[in-house]
Amino acid sequence: MNRESLIQKWLDHDLNPQELEAFKQLEDYNDLIKLDLQLKGFKAKALDTEDELDTVWNTVKSKPTKRYKLISIVSKIAAVLVICFGIYFYSNSLDTTTRTLVSEQKSLVLPDASRVELNAVSSIVFNASNWDDNRNLSLQGEAFFNVAKGQRFDVKTEIGTVTVLGTQFNVKQRDKYFEVTCYEGKVGVHTNTKQTTLLPGDTFLIIDGKYIATEKEELPSPSWLNHKSTFKSIPYREVIAEFERQYNVSVEFNNIDDSQKFTGSFMHNDIEIALKSITLPLQLKYSKTDNIIRLKRE
Amino acid sequence: MSKPLKEHICEEQLFSSIFRKYSKDLYDFLYYKFGSQFNPQDKMQEAFVKLWENCAKVPQDKAKSFLFTTANNLMLNEFAHRKVVLRHQQIKPKHSTNINPEFLLQEKQYKEKLEKAIANLTEAQRVAFLMNRVEGKRFKEIAQLLDISTKAVEKRIYGALKKLRQDIDEL
Repeated sequence: MNRESLIQKWLDHDLNPQELEAFKQLEDYNDLIKLDLQLKGFKAKALDTEDELDTVWNTVKSKPTKRYKLISIVSKIAAVLVICFGIYFYSNSLDTTTRTLVSEQKSLVLPDASRVELNAVSSIVFNASNWDDNRNLSLQGEAFFNVAKGQRFDVKTEIGTVTVLGTQFNVKQRDKYFEVTCYEGKVGVHTNTKQTTLLPGDTFLIIDGKYIATEKEELPSPSWLNHKSTFKSIPYREVIAEFERQYNVSVEFNNIDDSQKFTGSFMHNDIEIALKSITLPLQLKYSKTDNIIRLKRE
Repeated sequence: MSKPLKEHICEEQLFSSIFRKYSKDLYDFLYYKFGSQFNPQDKMQEAFVKLWENCAKVPQDKAKSFLFTTANNLMLNEFAHRKVVLRHQQIKPKHSTNINPEFLLQEKQYKEKLEKAIANLTEAQRVAFLMNRVEGKRFKEIAQLLDISTKAVEKRIYGALKKLRQDIDEL
């Protein structure tokens, strides 16, 4: 047996007694044994298999399984969807509000195609989500309604409620002032003190809680839609208030009876002509500084 | 495989027996291949955790290859092909009588040479050679663990021995 195969067999721990003797006779036997002995110094450290196994089980058990991960992902997605739907429905159920500022008019279309024209310094609030079942809105200020045919349509104000089926009418609710004018169809008006039905041309007017009879209205729509405010036997203070709403000014006066009746009109597009329109008939003079207007007797 | 079972590795009993059978060999393999700097013990445990997580997908007779491949990859993720230096631990000399300073110095020099020489072996040579010499494994056992032929193991080990002796003589 040659040297190489002896060493191979020695390496493989496969020497029989005779071969071992032969191996020991090799000239480099001592070198090999020395090397072999020194190599033992590189031994990997001993592991306690059972301890290691416990560690692995602990790691495995502290890790959530994949199924749990899937459930948690699904539940996260579900939570996000619930929140999204929640926000969607909540925002849907919120009321829609439309406002106008001084000397501003707005026109809007309700979900059933009814039209609303909003005069200056006014607001309406309605809920668009169940509009078809419940045509119901609140009004502060003045608006003209052209209502599409359908279910009952209610306009609520501080002083009274206006109920219609399908028609055109104007509602004006200002401080202690409530006026409803019917232009087409039939309009029901309910206040704490009075209930009535208006036919085309009829006007229902309450000032300071008192019902006031008025003449027939002949125009087909309120004059303010054409940028003109018209008054028939209306207290002068209401005329001034409307003027302030249309021109963003403040009007001051002394020694003038603001409950006297005024009949006439003013335009919304020219303050000089408008001032003359409301002062000349009552023989008043006016002076204008910035946004303040003073009225005086002549 | 000694007993081809139909059982799942997901059985805790079976998994534990696989662990007992291979954990030491896997650790040794990682240690001799990569040294101790990347914590072979952790990588060994991690490989078993991965085996448990994939127990439904890995057939029992593929478990060993799965473990060795996974652990190897875990190592490679951290290991940027740096040179492996295995530390030589002091072994207590058996014959304490003939200790003299000259002998100790020679001993020390020899160990330093050996460390360098082992670092110069290829990974494949080092793993097979140290599993054989240090862990006392026979060629056939190593061949099974590494999924290579006995002949290849023989070549690697004999080649390693030759290279080692040559290096030690030159150094």
